[in-house]
Amino acid sequence: MGSRAKILEKIKANKPDALALPNLDLNAFDEGLNLEKEFIKKIEVVGGNVYPITSNTEALLKIKALFPNTKVNYSTLENTSEFNTVTLNDIKKPQELEDLDILVLESKLAVAENGAVWIEDSKIPLRVLPFITKHLVLVIDEKSIVPYMHQAYQKIEDFHFGVFISGPSKTADIEQSLVIGAHGALSLTVLLKK
Amino acid sequence: MSHPKLASIFNKDEKRVNWHDKALWFVRHKRDLSVHQVKGWETLRNLGHGIKAHTLSNLDNYLIQFEDNALKNGVQVHWAANGDEHNKIVHRILKENNAKKVVKSKSMLTEECHLNPFLEADDIEVIDTDLGERIVQLAKEPPSHIVLPAIHKNKHEVDELFQEHLGTEPCNGDPQYLTHEARKHLREKFIEADAAITGVNFAIAETGGVVVCTNEGNADMGAHLAPVHIACMGVEKIIPKQDHLGVFLRLLARSATGQPITTYSSHFKKPRKGTKMHIVIVDNGRSEQLSRPDFRASLHCIRCGACMNTCPIYRRSGGHSYDATIPGPIGSILSPGKDLKKHSTLPFASTLCGSCSDVCPVKIDIHTQLYKWRQIITKETKQPFVKKKSMAIMGNVFSKPSQFERVGKIARWSLRHLPKSIINSKPNAWGKARDLPKGPKQSFDQWYNQRQDKNE
Repeated sequence: MGSRAKILEKIKANKPDALALPNLDLNAFDEGLNLEKEFIKKIEVVGGNVYPITSNTEALLKIKALFPNTKVNYSTLENTSEFNTVTLNDIKKPQELEDLDILVLESKLAVAENGAVWIEDSKIPLRVLPFITKHLVLVIDEKSIVPYMHQAYQKIEDFHFGVFISGPSKTADIEQSLVIGAHGALSLTVLLKK
Repeated sequence: MSHPKLASIFNKDEKRVNWHDKALWFVRHKRDLSVHQVKGWETLRNLGHGIKAHTLSNLDNYLIQFEDNALKNGVQVHWAANGDEHNKIVHRILKENNAKKVVKSKSMLTEECHLNPFLEADDIEVIDTDLGERIVQLAKEPPSHIVLPAIHKNKHEVDELFQEHLGTEPCNGDPQYLTHEARKHLREKFIEADAAITGVNFAIAETGGVVVCTNEGNADMGAHLAPVHIACMGVEKIIPKQDHLGVFLRLLARSATGQPITTYSSHFKKPRKGTKMHIVIVDNGRSEQLSRPDFRASLHCIRCGACMNTCPIYRRSGGHSYDATIPGPIGSILSPGKDLKKHSTLPFASTLCGSCSDVCPVKIDIHTQLYKWRQIITKETKQPFVKKKSMAIMGNVFSKPSQFERVGKIARWSLRHLPKSIINSKPNAWGKARDLPKGPKQSFDQWYNQRQDKNE
């Protein structure tokens, strides 16, 4: 008998009598959050910056003002192709993106309670992009903000890879001192579309 | 070595103990601030508990469902009955893919199975990429905490380690500089890696996907660059539905570090184009623990480390004193199930104050289980002569009120009148590092009766 059968048989023999699955009653958590305010507050708590914008054109102007001297840029926003300095079709291995300075992505889902923004790989040509880039800019419509993680999962449909990103990468592994910029992005900027 | 012996080694450096104690209490405090902001926190904990309890009661079917869905997603699934089989499976996958350089993100399971030495014996380079884990790997030590692996090291020690191994400049322990150097060093390793190994925080039966949580982004840097991704998980990582992640992701980071969520919560479902993804499902004693009604709730654990941060014993004895992969209160109820003799002192490394159970996000009755393990250990393992005798005498005294009163009187008198050399002599373990209080003239009983008389 292989290990699979052995493990499953043992678990079947040892498990307790069936216990019911509790129901998720989301009313217990509702505190009538001001979604936009809470989201901005939490992004700042987790080390990110938020700026209001009204259009993609304004988004690019803001980005250029915030990051004036970046060499390698990539954006998936509509009508921003003149911003891009790399063509991802030419990339054979994700490793070639090592020098990416700035990545701009759009997201349709963000969570107020923790500043998390959902990104899935149908929206990005390569999965490693939001992690390997030095600076990450996320563009979100204020209507895309949901209060809690529960509502976020109700909105998520099928995906191959997806990630909630809340703030820039960070670590406190040396004497509990918080350092922004571990292996992922060194900074996170959220542009909130009115 | 027993917990008291290892703890006494850690306790030799009082300054370090105080620093360690404070550092962890600071994290516990951040947890409090964070969870008090969540409306319905107790409801969330109850849900966490209930979902895990339900899952365990149907675990075999959920595992089968998970496997089915993972296979449909194009992921290869492997089963390992124990640590050795797990190591062999990972080794075989690496060999099949000609992988010589491996990057690994945090996985307590691979620590438990001793994967690194197994792979290194065949000249495979394994680099731990979580900063804390990289620090202890360079120091050739095991992690001392499951969330903060290098919490026992101060910044000057890290400075020296990096100078020796990464060729950094002396920096008086500047965390910013050291972290930046580690980023550069590990960036090279990510770029060169032939394969990436990650742990698993949650595995979803309904979708066949797994979720990995990090703050540093190291799991993602590994998994999205290397051509092969191996995710290793214990059987208890299963949750039934994707919706349940809403509960667990709200609980996990707040309990661990006080963050509202980790920076990255990565949901892996299908391998990226042209690459392979493997999941190794490991038992290694978990199905045995499932058979013990008193202890099976220990399998609810989501590895947040809150019980360690709050534990007065853990904070003052250090993670290494537990001599187990998972230290602290949760480790002390998991480890005896694996090797009762080796870990027989762990359930005694507690004041039974119950703080661990209070902070546990999935409401494991940790302190009750510690107490229950003590009952088993006292029966099944040899106890020291002095402890056995003194327990018998105490039992006798406590069972007869008049005798208890007499002994109490003598004890109170002795504490007032006998010299310190006798009171703090060797057999009195309570006098080892502290002065005992002056014995009061009155017993509680006398005081209480007097008070009642007055009130009447």
